[in-house]
Amino acid sequence: MVINPSYEQRKRLLLIGILLAVIALVLGDAVRGGSAEWSRVIARLPLLLTGSAQGWPITGGFLLNVVMGIASMAIATAVGTLLGLSLLARRKLVRQPAFVVMNFLRNAPWLVVLFAMLYLLPYRLTLLGVTFEFSPLAKAIIGLSLPTAANFAEVIRGAVQSVHAGQWESARSLGYSTAQIYRRVILPQAFRRMIPGWMNLYALLMIATSLATVTGVQEVVTLLRTTLSMESETTLVYFYLAVLAMFFAYCYPIALLARRLENKTKGDSL
Amino acid sequence: MFGLDFTWLLDPTYQGWLVEGVWITLQLAAVSSLAALVIGLFGALGLTLRLWWLDALIELFVEVFRNTPPLLQMLFFYFTLTQLGFTVEDPVTGLQQPLFNAFFSASVSLSLFGGALCVEAFRSGLDAVPKATLEAARSLGYGRWALFRRVQAPIATRICLPGLTNVLTNLFKTTSQASVITVPELMYAAGQVYNDTFRTLEMMLLVLVIYVALVSLLSWALLRLERLFAYPGYGQGV
Repeated sequence: MVINPSYEQRKRLLLIGILLAVIALVLGDAVRGGSAEWSRVIARLPLLLTGSAQGWPITGGFLLNVVMGIASMAIATAVGTLLGLSLLARRKLVRQPAFVVMNFLRNAPWLVVLFAMLYLLPYRLTLLGVTFEFSPLAKAIIGLSLPTAANFAEVIRGAVQSVHAGQWESARSLGYSTAQIYRRVILPQAFRRMIPGWMNLYALLMIATSLATVTGVQEVVTLLRTTLSMESETTLVYFYLAVLAMFFAYCYPIALLARRLENKTKGDSL
Repeated sequence: MFGLDFTWLLDPTYQGWLVEGVWITLQLAAVSSLAALVIGLFGALGLTLRLWWLDALIELFVEVFRNTPPLLQMLFFYFTLTQLGFTVEDPVTGLQQPLFNAFFSASVSLSLFGGALCVEAFRSGLDAVPKATLEAARSLGYGRWALFRRVQAPIATRICLPGLTNVLTNLFKTTSQASVITVPELMYAAGQVYNDTFRTLEMMLLVLVIYVALVSLLSWALLRLERLFAYPGYGQGV
C-alpha cells in the first residue's frame, strides 16, 4: 500500500507528532517516578488552576482568568455594540465623539488602561441610594473590558461596512426605513461576519487577563509569582512552561475556530 | 478640576525621569520592531519555499507566541536568560553582572512576539497577490526570483501595510509590559514618580495620554507611508 500524504497532511502530522512527543516526554517522566521539577509543578497545579491547594473552592488561579475574561467580554460586547452603532450614525454629533473614544481606547496600552482604572474608579460609589463596591476584581474586569469594547466597535463597523452598498440602495428603493434596513437587511448579514472577529477578540482578551496581576487579583500570574518565591530556582522554567501551556491550550482552539469561520464567511460577500 | 493636582510636573527631577522613560520606551520599541520585521520577513519567505516541515515549524512558532500572554513570555525570558550564567565584569564596581539584563530580555521576548505577528501579516500580504497577476508575469517570461522581486514583493508590501500597522502599534503598546520585569521605560518611570509624589491617578492619566499620543503618531506615520506607496487598485479600501 502506498501512502502519499498531501502537503497539508504531512504538515499536520508533524505538528501532531510534536505535540504527542511533548506529552509523551512529560508523561514518561511522570511514570518513571518523575523528575523533582515536574513533580513540584504537579503538586502546585491545583493551586495554579483554582487558587486553593486542594483544588476546591475556586478562589483564583487560571479559572479566575476565565471568569474575568467572560465577564469582561460580556461588558465589552454591550458597550462595544453601542459604540459601534454610534460610529455608523449619520449625525456628526454622535459619530465624532464615538470615533474619538474608540481611537483613544484602541491606541492606549491595555496595561495602562488597567492601571488608570485602578486609580480612577472609587472604592465605593453611591448612586441614587445604591452603593456599588469596586473590588480590585471589579476594577480589573472594567479595565479589561474598555479596550475590548473599542476593538469590538471596530469589528462591528467593519462588518456593517463590508455589506455591499447595493443592499442599502435596493432596500431603500423598496421603501424600508433606516432602522428597518439595519434590522432586516444589514445586521443579519453583518452578524455572520462579526463572529470570527468577536472570537478573536475573546482570545486576545483571555491573554490580556494575565495583566490583571498588577491589580493584585489572585489570578494565575500572581499565584505563579508567589509560588515561585517558595520554590527553588531550578523549578522556575518548568512552572513558567506549565502556565504558558495553560493559556495556549485555552486560546489556541478558539483562535483556530475563529479562523475556520472566517474562511467560511469570506466567500459570501454581496 | 476633580481635585487633580499636576504641580509636581514642574519639578525637573520628575520631568527628567519621565523623559528618560519615554526615551527607553522608544528604544525598546525601535529595537524590537526592527527585529520583529526581520523575523517576520524570514518567516514569510520560509513559507514561500513550500517545504512541509519548515511550514509546520513556522506555524508552531507563530501559534505559540500568538496564543500565550506576552507578559508571561517576558517573565520567562527574563528569568531564563538572566539565569544562563553569562556574566560580565562591571568596570566600575568590579562586580559580576548578568550579561543579559532586563532590557535585553524584554527586547528578545518582544521581538519574538512581534515576529510571530509579523509572519502572519507578511504571509497574508503574499497570499493576497492576485494569482492572475502572477500567471501573467510568468507567461511574460519572468523567472522565479525576478517574479518575486518585481511583481510579488512590491504588490504584497502594499497589501500588508495596514496589517503591519496593526502589528507595530500593538508591539509598541506591549512594550509597557516590560515595566513588570524592571525595564526602566515609561511605565516604570511613572511608578517611580508616584511612589515619590503619591499622585497615582494624575500620573496614570498623564501616562495614558503620552502613550495614546505616541501610538497615534506611529499609526499616522504608517498611514502616510501607506498612502505614499499605494498602487491604485491594490490594498486600498480593504
